[in-house]
Amino acid sequence: MSSDPDKLVAKADKLTKLTLTRWSADWRNATLNYEQAANAYRVAKKYEKAKDAFEKASKGQEMLTSPWDAAKHMESAAALAKELGNWNDVADLYRRASELYVECGRAQPASDALGKAARAVEDHLPDVAVQLYTDACSLLEEDDKDQMAFDLYRALTAVHIKLEKYTDAAAALLRLGLAADKCNASNSQFKAYLSAIIVYLYANDVKAAEKCYNDCSQIPAFLGSDQGRCGSRLISAYSEGNVEEIKRVAQSSTITHLDHAVSSFTLLFLPRLLAECSFLPSADKCTIASPHSDGLV
Amino acid sequence: MSVIDIIFRVDEICKRYDKYDIEKQRELNAYGDDVFARLYATVEADIDAAMGKADRAAKESKRAVTAALNAENRKTKARLMDEVTKLQKLARKKVKGLSKEEQAIRADLVLALPERIQAIPDGTTTGADQGGGWGGSASHKNITFDTSEENLNDDFFQQSEESSQFRQEHERRKLKQACKDEGLDVISDGLDTLKNLAHDMGEELDRQVPLMDEIDTKVDRANSELRNTNVRLKQTITSLRSSRNFCIDIILLCVILGIASYIYKYVCVLYLNSLTYFLLPLLAVFHLLSCLANTYLFCTCCSILQG
Repeated sequence: MSSDPDKLVAKADKLTKLTLTRWSADWRNATLNYEQAANAYRVAKKYEKAKDAFEKASKGQEMLTSPWDAAKHMESAAALAKELGNWNDVADLYRRASELYVECGRAQPASDALGKAARAVEDHLPDVAVQLYTDACSLLEEDDKDQMAFDLYRALTAVHIKLEKYTDAAAALLRLGLAADKCNASNSQFKAYLSAIIVYLYANDVKAAEKCYNDCSQIPAFLGSDQGRCGSRLISAYSEGNVEEIKRVAQSSTITHLDHAVSSFTLLFLPRLLAECSFLPSADKCTIASPHSDGLV
Repeated sequence: MSVIDIIFRVDEICKRYDKYDIEKQRELNAYGDDVFARLYATVEADIDAAMGKADRAAKESKRAVTAALNAENRKTKARLMDEVTKLQKLARKKVKGLSKEEQAIRADLVLALPERIQAIPDGTTTGADQGGGWGGSASHKNITFDTSEENLNDDFFQQSEESSQFRQEHERRKLKQACKDEGLDVISDGLDTLKNLAHDMGEELDRQVPLMDEIDTKVDRANSELRNTNVRLKQTITSLRSSRNFCIDIILLCVILGIASYIYKYVCVLYLNSLTYFLLPLLAVFHLLSCLANTYLFCTCCSILQG
């Protein structure tokens, strides 16, 4: 076997092309050749060619009815595409890999693949990332592996917050709460609910925050928990425009232990809220007068 | 007749002949209808009993017994104080046949009772004695507050040295308490963090549990498959080449090699004597045989290795 990847690829191509002399493609040898060629390209840092070789190897594995190996090759191809910066390609390749994993009947690696894809493209194609995260979460939920979905939900929330789509972020957090409820992870659940309340308040939507708080209070444990009490204090302080109280609550350990994306509001926006509110004649107008509510936290 | 019946009968008989019981009649007649006197007598008896217990407690070396006796005394004292209030009420009531002096005497007796009750030692401090004394004397109507004018000058209300010292002490203690409070705040923050960390760690571990179970089953399966394979391998090897056959093979090999080498030597010697034309075919046959034997042995070795 020659170690020159170009020759290997050429050989493998010849093996798979059907001509008069060859009536059935020899996929086994072709796949072997493709794999070797792909590794050689990767070592030589020729990412484009490596990616192509991996794709062909994956197709070969599919023909050999081994979707697991096919999926693995797809993932390698996608990782190389990430190096190249072809974001659309990355998303497509990872999706294909996850479909192959689902064919194997393994939901966990499938959702991992989608998660990796979403993480790779979230800076450049945030909408695609959102879609990928959602699909990953639904895959896990179908397979009753909700606990693995927590991280994905948190990442999804972070993306939404970056896009400033606060209702979507809150919705994602509530879904996280639901998943946590199914696994009896009460601490995560309460933290998710408190984060949702904070996000609503940040979006200057006090009514939605109150409604959210009331909905979440249906669970008696939430009312009596640290997070529940914190949430009620926040809502009351915010509706009264009591800046001191908001500051005090925001510095309490309950808020600082929340997810980074949500608790970072405290550091960034509280000073602005304080500044804006101090110029107003009365504290009540705090909520109405500042449309850019730097809300909470 | 059962024991219960006997007891009832004895009780009935005693009741009927109670009037002949001298001791009891004396007791009952001693005070007649005087409720006050009777109650007073019982209280006195209780006080004496309590003093007796206190003496025993003082002499007792075992702490548990002393503690029990002291507790009983405390209970008795509390009960007796209640009785004393009843006695006070009774003492004020007018009774037939009692003169005014006797009534005053009764009032004094009742007043003296609380002091006597408090004097019963029960293991607590003796500061209560003075309180009892004050409480007793306050009911006297003769006492008035002595508000003589001479003392109410400015000095009376000035801070004396002692009181200013007290104030300073108080301030110092308040500061120290504030420091302690800060320390406690720090501790509480730390505990909050720990609690959050612990909760998160707990949830993470809960997440890992089903994964570990899966790994467990998969490894068990792989383990059993491996064991099966090993057993099959062993069986194949033993069936293919049992040790007896192997020894025979080795002996045959040695014999053939020995013959071959002998012939070869012999042939070399003979070659020089040019009689090889006769022996060359024989040599070729032996050579061939040895090669065949070698290849046969080689094949069997290969088959063993490949299982």
